[in-house]
Amino acid sequence: MNEISSNKLVIETVDLVKMYGPHVALEGLNLKLESGAIGILGPNGAGKSTFFKCILGLITTTSGQGKVLGYDIKTQGDIIRSRIGYMPEYDSLDPELAALDQVRYSGELIGMNPAHATQRAHEVLEYVGLKDQRYRKIGTFSTGMKQAAKLACALIHDPEILICDEPTNGLDQRSREFMLQTLRNTVQQGNRTVLMSGHVMDDIQEVCDSIVMIHKGKIVVHSRIEELASQVDEEIEISVWGGSSRMQESLESRGLSVRRLGRLIRVKVESEDTISVILKCAVESGVQVRKMGEYEPDLEDIFLLIMDKLGAEVKTTSDLMTSEHTGGVNNE
Amino acid sequence: MSEDLIDLDGGQTRMEAAYGSDDGDEDLFAITAKREASVGAIFEQNYRPWDGDFGPRWVRNYAIFRHHVFGLFSSKGHRNYNPFIRLTILVIFIGAISPIAMLFFSSLFGAEPDGFIDKMWGVNRSNLWGQVLGYFPRNLCYWPLLTALVVGGMISDDRRNGTSAIYFSRPVTRVDYTMMKYLSVAVVLGFVIIFSYMLYYTLAIVFKGEGWGFLIDTLPMFLAGLLCSILLVITYTSIGLALSSISQSRFFSAIAFLSIIYGTKLVALLIDLQFETSILYILSPYDCLAHFGQWMLGLELNYSHSLSLSVVSLILMNLVSILVLVSRVSSLEVTRE
Repeated sequence: MNEISSNKLVIETVDLVKMYGPHVALEGLNLKLESGAIGILGPNGAGKSTFFKCILGLITTTSGQGKVLGYDIKTQGDIIRSRIGYMPEYDSLDPELAALDQVRYSGELIGMNPAHATQRAHEVLEYVGLKDQRYRKIGTFSTGMKQAAKLACALIHDPEILICDEPTNGLDQRSREFMLQTLRNTVQQGNRTVLMSGHVMDDIQEVCDSIVMIHKGKIVVHSRIEELASQVDEEIEISVWGGSSRMQESLESRGLSVRRLGRLIRVKVESEDTISVILKCAVESGVQVRKMGEYEPDLEDIFLLIMDKLGAEVKTTSDLMTSEHTGGVNNE
Repeated sequence: MSEDLIDLDGGQTRMEAAYGSDDGDEDLFAITAKREASVGAIFEQNYRPWDGDFGPRWVRNYAIFRHHVFGLFSSKGHRNYNPFIRLTILVIFIGAISPIAMLFFSSLFGAEPDGFIDKMWGVNRSNLWGQVLGYFPRNLCYWPLLTALVVGGMISDDRRNGTSAIYFSRPVTRVDYTMMKYLSVAVVLGFVIIFSYMLYYTLAIVFKGEGWGFLIDTLPMFLAGLLCSILLVITYTSIGLALSSISQSRFFSAIAFLSIIYGTKLVALLIDLQFETSILYILSPYDCLAHFGQWMLGLELNYSHSLSLSVVSLILMNLVSILVLVSRVSSLEVTRE
């Protein structure tokens, strides 16, 4: 795991363990997060939601320690929650309330004076692009508008940390871009920390500078995205026509590492001669190479590569079992 | 059309003419009227920080209380109650204070003491009991309907809409949440049931011009009735909220509450009529309260079984309801798995 220099730590955990009965949800989490935009990645059941609940001080941890903005997650959960804005993944709005009333009420629940909450609700609704719709009932909103309203609820008290659980879920392209732009602005203009979980790697890459990858309750990667990208092998991407399988076989027979997706073939750069080898293979296989270029790895590649190295896509039930469950028999 | 031809300020604009009368070397334009052009507004996203202070715990809790209770008077900005629900609650309240009108008229017409009106609506043991625990219309129609309308959706809406996340991702504890929901329901029920009872007693004294002697005679009875009304509000709130917490539907909690109140009463009544035993009335929340109320106000008991059974049953009903409520509120999630 790459270490990140700790100038201004917003979240810090030491050997954090959370068990649900015999199930291990978080296993010895050691994490130091600086302010900025951080993506939280992991397959389903990896422990992302448990991690969020722990840092919000909502559940009691089994062992270990954690601090958010310097406050203890075990004893100062209420202070932490008043300084964090949480945007849930699923619907969490009253469809019968107007957007302004819902946002104002969520501010009052933190302890804001009703007059201040109303004024601030106007401001944040304008910020998330709902200025003209603020008097409309939430039940009449589109998915994008609901997501924006949830973000406004999370931002009403100007939190130091904003936790967004899959903020672009169900959004069309335009709404998605606006949501990502808003999150970027919150980090850059507002100088706030954004913790963003999601399955769409492009979204995380657009907003976040660094990522934390959780797998089987453990942190497997914690690094800046560009550092990770530099660790991924350099590849050449070619688009072939008429015999992709033959081309793949030919490349593999020459000892090249190949990833194929239909007509698209990505070949790992082994040496300076790789391009000429590819062309020779194309001639031998009788295929047309219609496009050739250097492949820029994105976060999805990094994620898949790491998951591939870890040897599991999702957490299985047996992964969650401890010796207490299995009677001391190793389930592997 | 080139940009210089567009008149953004509205008014007239130049239009290139299609046909001209000369050799075509010159540009020809016609002056035409044009609708005012809409240029729209440029959206500029600016993050504005906020540097205010947060109120203490009671401020947050009062916000929950206000949201639910004020919604009955004005749904604008608060929890939305259907106008039909608000109207029904108003009708129930008017129904609950109707004896006051009779006392008022009797005082106007100078009805004789211990006359028909005085027996029917005046302050005495039976009427004080009946004002809270009378079966028809109060416990057959008014109070169960009132409770069903108020508790329907009180917690089930949070489960259905996922709004529990709005509460628990903020410094609102589950204890605060449950207590404030409980208090909101109890205050609304209390306003109709307890307030109407107190109003009835106070105005009866005022309208009939009674003195200190009457007050001293009737105050213990009034206080006994008051205790019964508080118990009734607590019991109905506990059962109603427990039912609201176990479902995602307003309809379920309302219907389930009415079913429990009417169903247990009906079953006990049928058993009583068939086998002449009142023991099954311990299953009926209303009858346990009525039994206790009769004893408190010194009325002849209508039930053949021991009073202690009714009291124990009442305590158990409240206990089980609160346990269900607490357990279901604990299961409300902030993040959904």
